[in-house]
Amino acid sequence: MEFERMVREAAVTSSSLLLESYGQHNIGIRLQREGGLHLQVNGPSGQRLGCMGMPGTTILCKGPTSDDVGYLNIGAEITVLGDATNGACNAMANGKVYIGGSIGSRGLTMTKWNPEYDKPQLWVLGSTGDSFAEFNCGGIAVVCGVNPKNPDNILGYRPCVGMVGGLIYFRGPIDDSYPRTNARLDQPNDQQWQWLVENMPVYLGKIGRADLFSTLTRRDEWRILATVTPQERALMFSGPMPMAEFRNQFWNKAFGGGDPLRDLAPGLDRSVIETIVTGDLRRRQPYWANSEAAAPCTFYCPIHIPTVERLRLIREGRIDEAYEMLLRYTPLPASVCGAVCPNLCMENCSRRGVDGPIEIQILGRAVGNFPAPTPAESLGKKVAVIGGGPAGMNVAWQLALAGVEAHIFEKDGRIGGKLAQVIPWERLSQAIWDVEIKRFLAMPNIKVHLNVDMDKEQFAGLERDYDYVVIAVGAHEPRRIPFPGHERVITALDFLKKAKSETPMAVGREVVVIGAGNVGCDVACEAYRLGAEKVTLIDIQKPLAFGKEKEAAEAHGAVFRWPVVTKEVTPIGVVTDSGELIPAQTTIISIGDVPALPFLPETIETMSVGGAAWITTDQAHVTSNARILAVGDVEKPGLATNALGAGKTAAEYIIADIKGEKWQPFTKPLIPHKALTITHYFPGDSGPTESDQADRCLSCASCRDCHLCETICPTGAISRREIEPGGSDRLLARQKTFEYVSDDNKCIACGFCADTCPCGIWTMNAF
Amino acid sequence: MVSTRSVSVAPGSLTPNDFPWIIEHREDRCTLCGNCTSVCPKEAIRLAYRRQRLPRLDILSTKRGSEYRTFTGIRQETAIANACIGCGMCAMVCPNEAIMPAPNTNEHRTLFFNNQKGEPQKRGGRRNVSGPNLLDRIVFNRISMLTDPALDAGRHEFNLTTTLGRILPPEDFLDRIQHGGWIPPTREIFPFVIGSMSFGALSPNMWLGLLQGVAYCNEVLGIPVVMCTGEGGCPPWVLRSPYLKYIVLQIASGYFGWDEIIRAIPEMQCDPAAIEIKYGQGAKPGDGGLLMWHKVSKLIARLRGVPESVDLPSPPVHQTLYSIEESVMKMVQTMSTAFGHKVPVYPKISASTSAKAVLNNLVRNPYAAGLLIDGIDGGTGAAYNISMDATGNPIASCVRECYLDLVAQGRQNEIPIFAAGGVGKNGNIAQNGMALIMLGASGVHVGKYIMQAAAGCLGNEKGRCNVCNLGICPKGITSQNPKLYRRLDPDLVADRVAEVFMAIRTEVKKIMAPLGRSQSLPVGMSDAIGIADRDAADLLKINYVC
Repeated sequence: MEFERMVREAAVTSSSLLLESYGQHNIGIRLQREGGLHLQVNGPSGQRLGCMGMPGTTILCKGPTSDDVGYLNIGAEITVLGDATNGACNAMANGKVYIGGSIGSRGLTMTKWNPEYDKPQLWVLGSTGDSFAEFNCGGIAVVCGVNPKNPDNILGYRPCVGMVGGLIYFRGPIDDSYPRTNARLDQPNDQQWQWLVENMPVYLGKIGRADLFSTLTRRDEWRILATVTPQERALMFSGPMPMAEFRNQFWNKAFGGGDPLRDLAPGLDRSVIETIVTGDLRRRQPYWANSEAAAPCTFYCPIHIPTVERLRLIREGRIDEAYEMLLRYTPLPASVCGAVCPNLCMENCSRRGVDGPIEIQILGRAVGNFPAPTPAESLGKKVAVIGGGPAGMNVAWQLALAGVEAHIFEKDGRIGGKLAQVIPWERLSQAIWDVEIKRFLAMPNIKVHLNVDMDKEQFAGLERDYDYVVIAVGAHEPRRIPFPGHERVITALDFLKKAKSETPMAVGREVVVIGAGNVGCDVACEAYRLGAEKVTLIDIQKPLAFGKEKEAAEAHGAVFRWPVVTKEVTPIGVVTDSGELIPAQTTIISIGDVPALPFLPETIETMSVGGAAWITTDQAHVTSNARILAVGDVEKPGLATNALGAGKTAAEYIIADIKGEKWQPFTKPLIPHKALTITHYFPGDSGPTESDQADRCLSCASCRDCHLCETICPTGAISRREIEPGGSDRLLARQKTFEYVSDDNKCIACGFCADTCPCGIWTMNAF
Repeated sequence: MVSTRSVSVAPGSLTPNDFPWIIEHREDRCTLCGNCTSVCPKEAIRLAYRRQRLPRLDILSTKRGSEYRTFTGIRQETAIANACIGCGMCAMVCPNEAIMPAPNTNEHRTLFFNNQKGEPQKRGGRRNVSGPNLLDRIVFNRISMLTDPALDAGRHEFNLTTTLGRILPPEDFLDRIQHGGWIPPTREIFPFVIGSMSFGALSPNMWLGLLQGVAYCNEVLGIPVVMCTGEGGCPPWVLRSPYLKYIVLQIASGYFGWDEIIRAIPEMQCDPAAIEIKYGQGAKPGDGGLLMWHKVSKLIARLRGVPESVDLPSPPVHQTLYSIEESVMKMVQTMSTAFGHKVPVYPKISASTSAKAVLNNLVRNPYAAGLLIDGIDGGTGAAYNISMDATGNPIASCVRECYLDLVAQGRQNEIPIFAAGGVGKNGNIAQNGMALIMLGASGVHVGKYIMQAAAGCLGNEKGRCNVCNLGICPKGITSQNPKLYRRLDPDLVADRVAEVFMAIRTEVKKIMAPLGRSQSLPVGMSDAIGIADRDAADLLKINYVC
């Protein structure tokens, strides 16, 4: 403090001071004199020589100096003839520092540049220590490399870290440890070189080494480290090498110049693809599965009548074809589809999801008067059909249409089986029935033999004389229960047969029907027709009656009671196991019928269920004898439609067998309801005509050619294509007059076609 | 007439509102381009047609009836198999911001129906517990002010490597040097290791993209990152490449791909970084690896030496090893010998209350190069949800107890503990890692964070995505279907790996500089951390601060 006070006082009176120092710090701190001030420091200098030096002040240190020479200098010119230690020019903003030797570490750090003033300068004759010019902001440094402390590296380790401004001239080798994101190595340009050459004599003069001028002005020995601007830095990759370059230059070569998986998976393509893709890169693919699944009406119909196709033909105005097609499935459309069938097609109709099912009965009845299709050319074979009920009739009908002679052997005096014998005329109008029977009997290839009571001998004859024998005798043996008084009980079969004949049985005022199924309901209705006043249907379980039969019985006033177990039947009624008497003058039992098969050879396999024998058949209705088939109730009890369906299947098997073709069962899967888009249809009133029903059809599983898929497809991949009709199957040929196709190169597998298709044709398959 | 057909309702019937993610679709913005349904990995959405009834309700008119209109919208499926996973790919490809999955803020009933056909839910991801974890709450609070020289993270040079391998006590070391004894191999590696994700769990583009990034970190950036193979083997060309030195080869109870490794040993250009013997995994302790059949492609089957399209469960334990002593004797020594005692060999275990017993055994075994402990928040490609969510031990206290046990024995500088399981779970990768290091870990293994940061993995701890097990990863990270994994550009993965490790490096410096550390990692420097949780502070023996 004393030394500083002395210097400050002396500077007031003199512009040139000679200081004999002994290592004092802060010599020349903030000293200034109008007209200039010159300090010469002769003795050892301490830290921060020329600290906060002012413009106009010059300091000459004859020897070396310690740390932080020119610290926060804002204008003084400081010359040190010897070396300077660490921190030279720390935070210097203006002025010049000339070093006649080398400097220590962290020189020229934190310099500033105020644009109102010149940039600060640091001249070093030798070399710098490590961490030179960190955070350099304005400082210009010239490092001459003369007698450097480290001849291999005159700028020390890691210079210019965080440098944001200024410029470093240097002459001599460096270790390239400067950060590339802060500094750029270059040659001085003309302007920079001119500045160096112009200022070099001043520096050399200050340190008394003018002799070095020619040595230090060989341009090719000088290089610069220039500041990288933030703008330039932003353009540089944050790492030192672009990844593509690394891949090409190093990565690929490390694996012998190819994909590292080429041995494990030859030809594996791992190249990058888009997220939305077409062609083989899709994970799903649309498929136009027209008619590959079955509509519920077709699927659940035992005859598998393609109602959807029929309605399509009607929509297209091809009424005759629609009618003919139906007759190719059943000889009794009006009687069965139109009347007695519980219509499983309607039960499962998809249209129920919109309003109500297609009214199939309208369609069935419409075909009543339509002429039979023309049979095909004769195949020269004949088949015996035992039993002329619905099963046997359809066997004969199908065979006849295909050109096979069919001989029906019927036990009764008329054909039609139970349809003719027991179904009340109330449910099956005689007018309709007679027309259809007439049409049936007119079929050229059908021969009917009535009142044939088949026995084993005759059967053997049929087996010998015919190519195939089909057993379709139904179940005409009523089941009974041996409770006391069972002899007083009339069987439903006998009752109904009589009821439909000219000589119906008399019934009492009160009637009990044991067994409350649909046949029981028919019995009840007929009993009312024949004069009964009260009919009670009893059952040991919840009655199985359903649909039209049950409704009809209930309409008459029939009472259903369950669970009721019959203990005894007396002349005054039915006594239950609880002791109750249900009054009845007539008791009828309706618990089903079983087959009567006295003619059946023992070689035909049967299965005993419920005390009766039923003929065992395979899927094609073939028995254990390959030439003998069995259809209808002799296999298992079913609906009239089941019998018709079995008959058609058996006939198809025989026809295929005759032709030497492989028989194909019906295997189409049911179209899932979810596949349809029923919301395209609006609920509405159902009209009475066929064409009203045709319009309502959802066309499940069969393309209705509505173009919605083509319209919704966002990439225009779907188009409709006309194709030439072909193939021998007329139906198939008609169906395939067009198709919709999806262009793999446009399709992105969004699934909109499948989501839109009203008929469930388009499906998305994984691939 | 409107259908009154009843809709059947089963116990498992669900509505969109019952699902964890609800598709929000704006019909007014939708252009019906099909991108969303095309990209959806679960076929969870479809184009739906809806019918609206417009009854005539004019009281003065005698005409009655209804009109109808049809409109379209994108709707979600309500079958469990097609449940929306919230991945948001639909939103990513939508040109009009018309669609996105929104998290269901109500309870979602699919929780009760994830067990279809008697099989409990399996998934990928990690423990579905979101929010800050313990590591996130640790602060670095010993700042060098005027007490000691502060360091500048940007300017100073740091030595950020850690030692993988056994360090001999000085007297032993000198003794062996003098007498030509065996010096256990060590590696100086970056303390953030890419944890074991197998070639199979990851797609080829992801796995090779990671390795390319690791190679770039080492060769271009000078960050000595290593990655672990997982138990799916290693492609033969990679085994014979110079990059093997950046790879930790894992052997686990499935032993997949080890025939190729053994076959390649004579032709290796360099030694692998280390051998990791997996005994357990934090995500599913007590379970072995599981690669479900969806992902066992021809390529994976070839590399692993198994049939195509079969489930590949690894046993929970190595089949013929019954004790830790036996494990160490058999496997650590065998592996060490196979590589000429030049490669560090260490076991990986699930974090457990029994971890200290394992560690103490390893301390006594001169061949053991370290111990990797994997905590409950670790991720996996496939596991039962119950294993992931409820089984395991958090990593922090487990590592801490193990480290303090070593300290008590004066052996903390001899055998490194590596920690894993939830590091970077909430994005705080460097913070989590350095907290574990200061608790005593020598380094950390990171898997899920790398998938998220390097490849854009969409999974999170709110049940988002998490379908790694099914091989339908919409980003192509964990799929073996080229139609999916070709979406992933290995160059971009490698770029992100480089960016991630550059950033971790800087953040680690930012944490170390104020501590006044630059030349060695602050392993076990627990006086430098604190937590505003008295119980945690007591258990971890660190400062309680508030």
